[in-house]
Amino acid sequence: MKNYLSFVAEAFVNTLKGLWVTLKVMFLPTITVQYPTEKMVPYPRFRGMLAYDAEACIACGMCVRACPSKCIALAKAAPAPVPAAVEGQPPAPAVRSGPKIEWYTIDYGRCNFCGLCEESCPTKPVKALWHSLDYEAVFSTREEMTRRWKRGDTLWGTARGSADGQFAPVADQIHIQDVPVRK
Amino acid sequence: MTDKTSAALKADQMFINFGPQHPSTHGVLRIALTVEGEVVVKAAPDVGYLHRGMEKLFEARTYSQALILTDRLDYISAMHNNLAYCLAVERLAGVQVPLRAEYLRVLTAELNRIASHLVFFGTFAVDMGAFTPFLYAFREREMILDLFEMLCGGRLLYSYVRVGGVSADLPAGWTEKCREFIAFFKPRLKDYDTLLSTNPIFKSRTDGVGLISAAQALSWGLSGPNLRASGPDYDVRKAEPYCVYDKLNFKVPVARTGSCWDRYYCRMLEMGQSAEIALQCLDALAAPELAPEIMTKGVPKMLKPAAGQAYAHVEASRGDLGFYAVSDGSLSPYRMHVRGPSFLNVAILQEILTGCKIADVVAILGSLDIVLGEVDR
Repeated sequence: MKNYLSFVAEAFVNTLKGLWVTLKVMFLPTITVQYPTEKMVPYPRFRGMLAYDAEACIACGMCVRACPSKCIALAKAAPAPVPAAVEGQPPAPAVRSGPKIEWYTIDYGRCNFCGLCEESCPTKPVKALWHSLDYEAVFSTREEMTRRWKRGDTLWGTARGSADGQFAPVADQIHIQDVPVRK
Repeated sequence: MTDKTSAALKADQMFINFGPQHPSTHGVLRIALTVEGEVVVKAAPDVGYLHRGMEKLFEARTYSQALILTDRLDYISAMHNNLAYCLAVERLAGVQVPLRAEYLRVLTAELNRIASHLVFFGTFAVDMGAFTPFLYAFREREMILDLFEMLCGGRLLYSYVRVGGVSADLPAGWTEKCREFIAFFKPRLKDYDTLLSTNPIFKSRTDGVGLISAAQALSWGLSGPNLRASGPDYDVRKAEPYCVYDKLNFKVPVARTGSCWDRYYCRMLEMGQSAEIALQCLDALAAPELAPEIMTKGVPKMLKPAAGQAYAHVEASRGDLGFYAVSDGSLSPYRMHVRGPSFLNVAILQEILTGCKIADVVAILGSLDIVLGEVDR
């Protein structure tokens, strides 16, 4: 009985000690971000949803080969028509108008967000495929998970950086480093 | 009614399924328990609910593609999986790694160990009925995840360590942020002791419960803090130093009795040691004479090692994690075997759960700190 009572007393004192620890934390700034009214902008290297720029793409297929889960598919555009030869002049070079690619799909149901496709993309100075900072990926059907770009569509994310059009509006968003305690 | 349950009924015993949907199993683990009143008379862990055929998937990918699979084994400490895999492939292909990359690997591995042990600390406390430590553990872990996001873009699945080096160098401001975190984190360990380690209610539920003798631990192949809590002082970082661990100064906490509390406290002490190692790595990385290369030149994306085999193991958060790679000279591994510490740790349950009280099942399972992604692979 005596042992029991001393255990209860000891447990009570230790609970108070624990409460003292929690009390100290009450005066620290809060770290909760009120999503969705407040949204955080991740760090620049964050691997979010893939953005694709058909203007920069050269349809080389490096991303298709790099992908571990085979989620990317593409088709090259037909070769540009060679202008009709004119008598007495050297043959004119083929002139292409528009992107070098016919269609391009990414299956987000398979995507690992590993970044290997972005690393393998050879186009310069800007990559044709890159991870944007968009993390709000919601799909209601499996078909929606496959994003498809085809000739005539508006391009995905022609603007660069965190304001690449997939992640708008940025003005009312807080950067991850602006959250107290995460500084 | 199966034969098992009917036999249990006849012997005045009861057959209970612990899991696979029980919140305390930390995933999809099922333990088939036969109890007699409060006492467990037979326990059989049943694994395989999360089996994805990982070892086979390795064979269908090139060496650089297969890296992302390793993230998904022990997803709480993915950095160690990346590291062990890359060490095995580097040994297979005879690739040397720049010193700076070695320091970065150790730095991220130790930060990941802290993050992983924090998850253990939080969930083990929840299993024991204390909710507050969970919130604090995840607050600190969030800071480490922020650091990793800043470094490599991933918060959980990093793919940071690559064959021949690492994928990225430290961004501007990272070192300061990391030092700030460690300065914030070290005093928190004292708070954790006040909240949980020395709490008599917590101690009475864990101290002296689920005892594993040193002989038992060795014969069942335990590793990591679970082994060291029982007495044997075996740590891959000390026994077979990889990367730059032989240049770093740290201690390996060892306990004696092998109770749940010992396993818990070994991990708490390891977090402090990991923070020390991280500081030493930051100092080494700041040295101006360290060459800035982080990736060996001339390691192709389509790696084609000569036919052969190699084994490399690291001290992951949960124990001795090894990768055994066999190459037949083609672009993808011929065979990749994973020695997952969680799988071996979960096996001992059938021995130590026998004879314990049903309330202690949760404590013992929680103290082993298993990750089902690695158990089932």
